[in-house]
Amino acid sequence: MSLGLKEPRASKASPQNPASRKPASRKAPAQGRQPGSSIDVQRKKLLFPFVGPAFVLYTVLFIVPALGAVWISLHKWAGSGPMKFVGLDNYGRIFRDPLFLSSFGNTLLLLFVVGTAIFVLAFAMTLVLRDMAGKKVVRNVIFFPHLINALVFGVLAGFIFNPGGMVNSLLAPFGVTDPPKWLAQDNIFPLIMVTLVCTTTGYFTTILMAGVDRIPPYYYEDCALAGATAFQRLRYVILPLTWDVFGTCAVLWTISSVKIFEIVWVFGGSSGAGVPPTQSWTAAVYTYVNAFSGQSTPAYGAATASAVLSLALISVLVVLLRRAMRRDAVEF
Amino acid sequence: MGKTARHLRPLAALLGAALALSTTACGGATDASPAADAVDISGSISGQTINYWSMWKDGEPQQKVIATAISDFEKETGAKVSVQWQGRSNTEKLVPALNTNNVPDLVDGTLAKLAPVIGDTGQASPLTSVYSYELDGKTVSSVIPEKFTSNGVFKGEDGQPWMVPYSISSDGIWFDAAKHPELKAKPPATWDEFMEVLDKLKASGAAPIAADGDIAGYNSTWFVTALLRLKGAGSFKALAEDKSGAGWDDPAVLEAAQKVESLVKGGYLNSGYNASKFPAQQQLWANGDAALILNGSWTPTETGSYAAPGFEYSSFQFPAIGDKPASARVDFIGFAVPAKSKNQVPAQRLAAFLLDAKYQNALGTDAKVLPVRQDAPVDPAVASVKAAIDAAPATHLQNDGVTFPGYTEKVFFPRDDELFLGKTTAAEFVAKMKEAQIQYWKDNG
Repeated sequence: MSLGLKEPRASKASPQNPASRKPASRKAPAQGRQPGSSIDVQRKKLLFPFVGPAFVLYTVLFIVPALGAVWISLHKWAGSGPMKFVGLDNYGRIFRDPLFLSSFGNTLLLLFVVGTAIFVLAFAMTLVLRDMAGKKVVRNVIFFPHLINALVFGVLAGFIFNPGGMVNSLLAPFGVTDPPKWLAQDNIFPLIMVTLVCTTTGYFTTILMAGVDRIPPYYYEDCALAGATAFQRLRYVILPLTWDVFGTCAVLWTISSVKIFEIVWVFGGSSGAGVPPTQSWTAAVYTYVNAFSGQSTPAYGAATASAVLSLALISVLVVLLRRAMRRDAVEF
Repeated sequence: MGKTARHLRPLAALLGAALALSTTACGGATDASPAADAVDISGSISGQTINYWSMWKDGEPQQKVIATAISDFEKETGAKVSVQWQGRSNTEKLVPALNTNNVPDLVDGTLAKLAPVIGDTGQASPLTSVYSYELDGKTVSSVIPEKFTSNGVFKGEDGQPWMVPYSISSDGIWFDAAKHPELKAKPPATWDEFMEVLDKLKASGAAPIAADGDIAGYNSTWFVTALLRLKGAGSFKALAEDKSGAGWDDPAVLEAAQKVESLVKGGYLNSGYNASKFPAQQQLWANGDAALILNGSWTPTETGSYAAPGFEYSSFQFPAIGDKPASARVDFIGFAVPAKSKNQVPAQRLAAFLLDAKYQNALGTDAKVLPVRQDAPVDPAVASVKAAIDAAPATHLQNDGVTFPGYTEKVFFPRDDELFLGKTTAAEFVAKMKEAQIQYWKDNG
């Protein structure tokens, strides 16, 4: 998370730096194909040794497998043995599959509904915590759930919500003899959504707080002198000055929410003893079940097709999000 | 603009180089598998080494038996076995390995997991020589009960067996014989007798049946077994294979679903079974809070640590419905040898070695599981299951051996769950299955 915060700072420092790339790049188009300044030449020479190894590794380990996945998604394949080329059939099939559509719908629910809840809560907590005594302790406490393996929450859900579990035992003295069926198949996904809000809010609060903390105190003093209300202070000072942090957080959540898998698996899959109920599947779970459920012949073509679609979804959403969140960076 | 272009060109060159590099690295992947023929495995294998990926983890009871067998095998033959105790994920790791030339020489797993990965895809060596190999004067094929092999579950497309089982698992309706001696003395043989038992249990105030309703595989056992009782082993597979879906119109199919529905509607299932998390319900059963549970032959080992004091494990078979000969569920655990393995002879010899009486007895008495050999003794806790298998004229696999890609998880389990969890009626279940199955075969035919 520190990465996301350091980058804007570094780029903001650059205008003051005499050796920064801005003046050089402005000259570049005018010079056309002729060699540029000595700095430009040096930079070009260093491109290969510096970028090359990382680029080759990245290509071999990420881009090639991703292209491989696209290739596999055009076939009917059990993971080993003969591959049969079927063109775009796998895509057509998963679009007709109501299960894929409902899984995809769940992914969108996580992305937007859980995402909105997380950011509203995280922002509210940031504002409350800013002036609170002992905020460092509180910050650690609310960050803590993010460190815990999702498996723990899956197992814990059993202890808490089983028919003879904690919640029902606590409700019994109040005369609740027929408590709701907490872990019924239809209730598992809402429970997962609540769990995700609880575990992820602290993480984003921590990042947003770091962004709010770097706002110089004299802006607040200015607000006080001008007689601004708390809302005006939020609207004209805090939001504009943390907008870039906010945007980074939104992208981080988009990417991670589309990949959410393990919490669904352990919540409903009885910690690995079976496949979770279809009502709680996300696109990632759909992908996994197609390839590795262990209950039937693997369908790698359908699995990779759904993975490729997820990747496409992330890419489109991230681009849209970057566009929607684009503002001129405020220097301070 | 100009700057971007200047930087793009070298990057494109790098990309091209990287692509070329990685495609040559994967070049071997599309090689056809070597022609597989049965090999003579009787010669000396001293000094040869095999690589075995085990489905057991260090410390498991079965692992201890196999480890003993391996050390005896090494002493006796002079071959060396290098084992990786990988656990149940070994089959998932096998899939990518099969696309390379670096395969294990021997793997084990359940038939249900090995078949889709290595058996049905033609990637396993024929193990005909293992079946004809002699141990103490008896061939391997003579010590494996014929009813296990007669329906051809181990045979590949070439008609040769590719798997050798060393252990089996089954299921039954389990109860505490200390608490219910009457069930041990006279287990219900027919569905009507079974319902009488349930009514008596219900009248006594006890919950008749416990079920972990979140495990679709357990839920489906009720419907599948009811159907097999009505129409015989292989009938569920035939039903699932039916592209027209017309099989679902058979009154016997509806009757099987109605049997399940009657358990749900009759209130015989423990309250909360439809909203709990495994293993809550089987714990409750082992504590004596419910009388019966339909579960696998592993139940005594799995629930042994938390069973009520004095719990005496016993079981009876799913009751008969109609007059078809009742088959017993038998799932297999055994060895397969990848066709690409370069150490066929020692690998196949080790597969045969585990069928020696010494290790089969140890599986039954020390590991407390069911050995594949009928003459091997077993622990009293699973004696009732073994007796049922020995007496059964035929056997069937879990879910009747249905492994069509995605059918079980996406078509059958979700709808069967609805039936078992009381969300749909038998008639709705049958109608929904018919519709979904027609669509499934349209997409996957």
